[in-house]
Amino acid sequence: MAQPAPPDSRPIVRGVVTVLLLVAIGGALVVPIYARSRPKLGDFPFFYWYQLAWVPVVAIACGLCYILLRTKPARVDASTNGGEVQQ
Amino acid sequence: MSHVNAVSFAILAVSFLSVTLIGFAAARWRPAEDPMQLNEWGLGGRGFGTFISWFLLGGDLYTAYTFIAVPALVYATGAAGFYALSYTIMVFPIVFLFGPRLWSVARARGYVTPGEFVRGRYGSQGLGLAVTLTGILATMPYIALQLVGIESVLAVMGLGTSSGNAFVANLPLVIAFVILAGYTYLAGLRAPALIAFVKDAFIYVTVIVAIIYIPSRLGGWAHIFGAASAHLKSVNPATGKPFGSLVVLPSGEWAYATLALGSALALFIYPHAVTGVLAARRRDVIRRNAAMLPAYTLVLGLIALLGYMARATPAVNAGVAAGGGDAQLSVPLLFQHMFPSWMAGIGYSAIVIGALVPAAIMSIAAANLFTRNIYKELFRPHATQAQETRVAQLASLVMKVGALGFALELNRTFSINLQLLGGIWILQTFPAVVISLYTRWFHRFALIIGWAVGIAYGTIEAYRTPGGGQQHFGASIAPVFGHTTYIAITAVLVNLVVAVGLTLVFHAVRLRDGYDHTRPADYSADAAPPVVAAARGTVSAAP
Repeated sequence: MAQPAPPDSRPIVRGVVTVLLLVAIGGALVVPIYARSRPKLGDFPFFYWYQLAWVPVVAIACGLCYILLRTKPARVDASTNGGEVQQ
Repeated sequence: MSHVNAVSFAILAVSFLSVTLIGFAAARWRPAEDPMQLNEWGLGGRGFGTFISWFLLGGDLYTAYTFIAVPALVYATGAAGFYALSYTIMVFPIVFLFGPRLWSVARARGYVTPGEFVRGRYGSQGLGLAVTLTGILATMPYIALQLVGIESVLAVMGLGTSSGNAFVANLPLVIAFVILAGYTYLAGLRAPALIAFVKDAFIYVTVIVAIIYIPSRLGGWAHIFGAASAHLKSVNPATGKPFGSLVVLPSGEWAYATLALGSALALFIYPHAVTGVLAARRRDVIRRNAAMLPAYTLVLGLIALLGYMARATPAVNAGVAAGGGDAQLSVPLLFQHMFPSWMAGIGYSAIVIGALVPAAIMSIAAANLFTRNIYKELFRPHATQAQETRVAQLASLVMKVGALGFALELNRTFSINLQLLGGIWILQTFPAVVISLYTRWFHRFALIIGWAVGIAYGTIEAYRTPGGGQQHFGASIAPVFGHTTYIAITAVLVNLVVAVGLTLVFHAVRLRDGYDHTRPADYSADAAPPVVAAARGTVSAAP
């Protein structure tokens, strides 16, 4: 229990994570953003290449959130005493 | 279609046999000290790290539905079918949010199923049962969908379905399912986890080859989009309207968005997805996978484009017409006409194995639900671990027989609607399963009544919706206040309004609420109980 505050409880981290995830969801949920055929990329209408391009954006957003929320001190412990931490 | 290609068939047979061997061998993989525990059979010992979880969840979530039904929908209706891409984009930020909390409380309290969590959270047997029955009911058509995937491959290969005899026609499918049932029974979740590696190898090879090779044979993407656009603009004689469009029209945006959102919210409360999540070794594994699983989403997007390639191939259009207009045949036909026969064999194998992995996980998940929430809850509260495991093994067999019945009885022209009907039902457990991870404000009876109203509303709406040549259950979208909306979304909103309203009433009249067996700290707990941590820790700490 004598741990530094886990990242989950720091308001700035929580705020950043929430915004990142909402933007990631919004980019796919708000259909009018991409329901158009121009600009084309090669022969691909915008509708198709935008959605395909949004996939890595979401992956990176989730990756950033993972790094922000990672419990660092505990992870160091985890590698030395076999994961038996973070109660 | 009566002529069977020997090379394609040989490749499919060899890959099916290899997968069968791997499935049975999986019983000895990462052996447990005591295999007769539901944690072991049903969750693979809760010990899968990032790498295995990635394959397991990928194999679990991207099913034959991906390979057959999504391109089939794109083939038939164009851009509207791409909601599946949008849905699998949204699903990962969503699971990033609630997945770790569900994992933690399940680990801390030893829950194997979402039904157990709800039972514990609300101290309500009824609510736990509601979630359990919904899970089993929604999973059944989903397993059936996997069978439909296998069926369309067999049909294109000329196996089975060309026979007039119903028994002979279904024989290959039945054999495939009996073998699947055999290794699932023996090895539990370890079997699909191990087979998932093979499945992915086949799928990635097929998709990469298809996306590079087929457009070059068809005269490039410009021709593919052109041919698709020409078809979509032409008028469908059955409806008097165009078949679809190459870009979602303003009138279709609402349906597209609600289908994507509803499916994304539903995906991770399906029992099989929960099983995949709970099998993770650590809390962090889920978040890391939310960042890595979108690789499969990219593959899904490319697979969806196969629908347009099929549309641009005259031989496929002729084949679909010969098959009674069954769009589900479009991808297997595309492989048959575009690939040399050995590559077609690999493509067929990808679909068949891609159906086996999720079918196995789904039947395990449903079996876990039955065992923990029905058998143990209602009939044998003091069942031993070994009895539980035995019952789960038998239940997984029953689930498969049920799904086989589903697949052989129901209309298969738009198998995607089967899954969407399951989605309508499963989303009605969202308040009890997901919102409860954050708040215990709701009253248990309010949640039960809200659930019942949502299920009833959703089922009636789906029943009243004609489409695809059927009078009922024709589509899963229906107009609400002038907007065509995914029925699951409307139903869950009705469900929530009822639950909130009744909770206010029940709190006001001080109706007795259930006891919450969980503690706030459970929702952020990490690592395993000491015993398991020690056993697994030696593995994870190795350099």
